Amino acid sequence: MTVLSLDAAHASYGDKQVLGPLTIRVAQGEKVALVGHSGAGKSTLLGLLFDKRRHDMALMPQELGLVQTLSVFHNVYMGRLANRSTLYNLANLVRPLRHEVARVRDILAPLDMLDKLWAPAGELSGGQRQRTAVARALNQNAKVLLADEPVSALDGPRAEAIMLTLTQHFETTVIALHDVELALRHCDRIVGIKDGGIALDQPSHRLRADDLRFLYVAPSAAA
Amino acid sequence: MLKDKLRHLTLALLLLAPIATAAEPLVFTAIPDQDETRLRERFEKVADYLAEELDREVRFVPVKSYAAAVTAFRNNQVQLAWFGGLSGVQARQLVPGSEALAQGVEDAEFRTYFIAHRSAGLAPSDRLPKGLEGLTFTFGSKGSTSGRLMPEYYLRQRFDAPPSEIFDRVGFSGNHTRTIALVESGTYQAGALNYSVWESEVEAGRVDTDAVQVIWKTPPYADYQWTIRGDVDERFGDGFKRRIREALLNMKNPELLESFPREGFIPASNADYATIRETAQALDLID
Amino acid sequence: MASFVPSSVTLRTTLGLVALALLLLPFADIEITTVAPWRELGRLLQGLLTPDFTELDDLGTALLRTLAFAFTGVALGVAIGGLLALVFHHRLVRAGCAFVRAIHELFWALIFLQFFGLHPLTGVLAIALPYAGVFAKVYAEILDEADPLPKQVLPAGTGMLSTFLFARVPDAWPHLVSYTAYRLECGLRSSAVLGFIGMPTLGFYLQSSFAQGHYSEVGALLLLFYGLIATLRLWARPQLVPLYAVAAPFLLGSGLPIVWGNLTRFFTQDIVPAPLRNGEGWAALGQWLSDLLLTQALPGLWTTVVLTQIALVLTGGLALIAFPLISRHFTSRAGGVAGHTLLVVARSTPEYLLAYVLLQLWGPSMLPAIVALAIHNGGIIGHLVGRRSNELTLRPDASRGMNRYAFEVLPRLYGPFLALLFYRWEIIMRETAILGILGIATLGFYVDSAIQELRFDRALVLIVITALLNIGVDSLARALRRRLRLKHAASSEP
Repeated sequence: MTVLSLDAAHASYGDKQVLGPLTIRVAQGEKVALVGHSGAGKSTLLGLLFDKRRHDMALMPQELGLVQTLSVFHNVYMGRLANRSTLYNLANLVRPLRHEVARVRDILAPLDMLDKLWAPAGELSGGQRQRTAVARALNQNAKVLLADEPVSALDGPRAEAIMLTLTQHFETTVIALHDVELALRHCDRIVGIKDGGIALDQPSHRLRADDLRFLYVAPSAAA
Repeated sequence: MLKDKLRHLTLALLLLAPIATAAEPLVFTAIPDQDETRLRERFEKVADYLAEELDREVRFVPVKSYAAAVTAFRNNQVQLAWFGGLSGVQARQLVPGSEALAQGVEDAEFRTYFIAHRSAGLAPSDRLPKGLEGLTFTFGSKGSTSGRLMPEYYLRQRFDAPPSEIFDRVGFSGNHTRTIALVESGTYQAGALNYSVWESEVEAGRVDTDAVQVIWKTPPYADYQWTIRGDVDERFGDGFKRRIREALLNMKNPELLESFPREGFIPASNADYATIRETAQALDLID
Repeated sequence: MASFVPSSVTLRTTLGLVALALLLLPFADIEITTVAPWRELGRLLQGLLTPDFTELDDLGTALLRTLAFAFTGVALGVAIGGLLALVFHHRLVRAGCAFVRAIHELFWALIFLQFFGLHPLTGVLAIALPYAGVFAKVYAEILDEADPLPKQVLPAGTGMLSTFLFARVPDAWPHLVSYTAYRLECGLRSSAVLGFIGMPTLGFYLQSSFAQGHYSEVGALLLLFYGLIATLRLWARPQLVPLYAVAAPFLLGSGLPIVWGNLTRFFTQDIVPAPLRNGEGWAALGQWLSDLLLTQALPGLWTTVVLTQIALVLTGGLALIAFPLISRHFTSRAGGVAGHTLLVVARSTPEYLLAYVLLQLWGPSMLPAIVALAIHNGGIIGHLVGRRSNELTLRPDASRGMNRYAFEVLPRLYGPFLALLFYRWEIIMRETAILGILGIATLGFYVDSAIQELRFDRALVLIVITALLNIGVDSLARALRRRLRLKHAASSEP
C-alpha cells in the first residue's frame, strides 16, 4: 500500500525550478534513504512529501524546529500536543505532570539525555539538540517519519544506534542522509537525487557505496 | 431613547458608587495664578476657617491650570472656587445657576501692570508705550484676566493689531510670579501681570527692581471672585449658599486676609463681570 | 541590514534628510533672545548641585504614586494590547491602534480630565490606552517573527491554543519580556510627566518646584527620578513585577469622585462643534472649520513639521556622538559607567523640563525645543545603539580610535541606527505636542490653547489632525525602512 506519493511534482524558488518534475511512491513499511550532495534538493523533496500528507506523520527538519526557550521536556512533550486537550497541554506548560515527565524520561534514557531534561533547548550542543528532536519524533504518535539529516551532529556509534531506533520505531521512514554507508546499512531503498531529479532508485542490497559516488561529483551547473 | 438609556446607566453607576452620605465634605479649588506654596498655605487656612464656620469638612484641591479649575467646578468635583474674572465668567457660563458670591475689596477695581526689563529702554508712562512694538512679550496664563485678557484688550486698543503682530515673540509664562521671573531674567523683554502679585512680591523683596520696572498701569476692572454652584443648597442643605457667603464676608482674620492679599471681602454678583464677558467675547476667548 | 543594500541608497537617504533639515532651517526661528539669563541659570545649577530632600514632605507619596500609575497603566496596556495583538491582522484593529498611539499621553490625560476629572482613572487610562496600541503592534510583530519551524513540526491536529502557547509564545517570550520591561521604563516617565497636568506623581511637585524657582527641590526630585530609572533592573525583577502590578491599583490614591453624567455631557455636547451645538447650521460649521484650519491647524502643522525635521537630524547626530560613550569598544569600564550615567540623565529627563531650562537660557524660540528633543531622543538612540555595539565582536587586531569607529563599528551599526531613528521620527513629532504647551506654536500649542479656552470641539479637531500627521510620518518612516531594507528587531523599538 502506498503511504506517500508525488506525481510530476516540482518546486521552484522564484523563477528558478529547483526540483522536479519528479514522481515517487513510498509503500507502507519501506525505509527510504534520500542521498545526494548538499543542495541537490533532498530537503525540498522532503518538504513536498510532508505537504502532501500531514497526518500520522512525524517531521524532523534539518533545523529541527525546537523551541529554544522551552526545556527538553517541553520540546519532547510537544510531540503529543495533538493527542491531549488544550487545558491539559496548558497545565503541562506551566507545571509538568508527573506521569508525562515519566513518559518523556523513558524516551530520553536510551538517548542518554536524562541529565538535560530541564535544560532549555537553546543551551544544548548540536548533538543534544538533535537527540531532543529525535525524542520528540519518537514521542509523537505517528507511523511515518520524514527526517532530514537526523544524526549529522552525532558521533559514529550513537548515530548508528539512533538510526536503528528510528527505523525500528516508525513503520515507514524517509530519511535524507549525506552519509552513504549509514544509508546503506539502515535503509532498504536508496533514492539518489541529483540536479533536482531522481538519478537513482534501487533497493540497498543491490548497491555498494561506490555505486553512489557519482551523485557527489562535480555538480553540473551551480546548483 | 439612547439618552434615556445613558441616564439609567449613569444612575445605576451612581448608585453602585460608594456613597459617603455622612457629612459630605465641601471641596473647593482656586486658579493657580501664582506660586503654589503660597496658594496652598493660603487656601488651607481658608479651608480651616470655612470648616469651622460651616461645621463641615472642607477640602482644598490644588490644580495645575486655570482650565482645570473651571473643569473641576463644572464637573461638580468642586462646588466652590476662587476664580479670576475670566475663569469665573467661563465657569458660570458652563454651570447654569452658579453665581459670584463675593469679591475682594480690591477686586472691584483691579489693575494690570505692564512691566519691562531695563534694557528695553522703556520709561513709566501714562499711556501704553509705543516702544513695546517689536519686543518680546509674555502674558501670564492663557486663561488669566489680569495676565492675558485685559492686557491683550489694551494692546489691541492701542496698536490696533493682535499681539502676534505687535511683538517679535509672544509667550505665556503660566502664572504671575513666573512673568516677573522671566522679564527680570530678560528671557522676555516685557510682560503683563496682576498688580497685586507685583506689589506683594516687591514688598517681600523678591524682585530685582533694578532689572525690571512697571511701565504702565491699566484702568481698573473687576477681577477675582468666589463662585459657587447653584445646586449646593440641594446637596448640603437649605441655606448653605447663604452661610458660605456670610462666612466669606465675615472673614476678618488679618493673617488670612493678608495671605490673599485682600483687605476684606464684599458681595459680588454675576452682573459685576458683564464687562469682562464682553471683552472676552470681543477677543474670541469665549463663544 | 544595510550591508545588503548598495550603501549609496543609505547615504542618499541620510543626505536627503539632512538637506531637508538645512532647507527648513531658515524658516525655523532659532534666535537667541535672552538678555540676562545667567542669574536665574546660576541659581538653577546651584540648586541642582545642592539637592534638598527635606522640604519635600510628600516625596514618599509622590514616588509611590508615580510607580502605582506606571504599573497600573502599563499592566492594563499589556493586557489590552496582548489581546489585540492576536487579532492585529484585522484592518480595523490595526487602524484603531495606530490612532490611539498617535496621540500623546498628555493629551489623553487632558481629554480624560474633562469627564473623569482628578480621578486616578484619568492617569491610568492616559497611559494604558496609547500603550495598548503600541503593545498590540509590537507584540504582533514579535510573534510574527517567532521561528515558524516549531509550529510546522507539530503533530497534525494540534489545537490552535496549544500551538500558539507552545510553538509561538515561548520563542517570542524573551523579546516580549524585554520589550515590556523597556516600556515599563517609558511608563515611569509618562507617569511622572502626567504630574504636570495635575496627577499626584513626581511631575506634580517637579512642576511646582520648578515654576517657583525652588531649584534645590527640583534637584532632589530629579535625582530621585534618575535613581528610580537607573535601578529599574535591580528592583523590577521579572518574578516581582506581577506582584507590583497587582498591588499598584490599590496605591493610586482616591482623587475626587467621578460624576458619571460628565461623560455623557462630554460626548453629546462638549465635542460637538459649536455651530452645530448652537444650531447655526452647516454653513456656519464650514466657516468654523475653515477658520480653525487656516488660523490654527495649518500654521501649527508647519511649525510642527519644521521643528520635527530639524530635531530629527540633530537627534541622529547626537546619537552617533553619544553611543561610543557606553560602547566597550571605545571606553574603559569606568568611562562606561560615566557614559551610562550621562545617557540615563539625557533620556530620563522629560523633554518638557529640558526645554523649560533651555528656554531660560536662550529665550523664546524654537531652539530650546529642538535641542531638548535632540538631547532626550539622542540619549535614547545612543543608548540602544551603544548596547547593540557591545554585542559586536571585533577582530583582536582591529584598529583603534577614530578608525575603529569609522571602519569597524559604524558600518555595522548604521543600519540599526537608521532604523531606530526612523522609529523615533514619529515619537519626536508626538513630543513636539507637549513642547507646544510651553508656548512654541506647534499643533500642541493650539490644542493646549483650545483646552485652556474650554473649547473641546476645537481641541478634538486639532488632536485628530495631530494624530493623522503622526500616522502619516509613521508610514513614511516605515516606507523608508522598507526601501532601505532595514530589518528591525521589534524588541529594540524604542
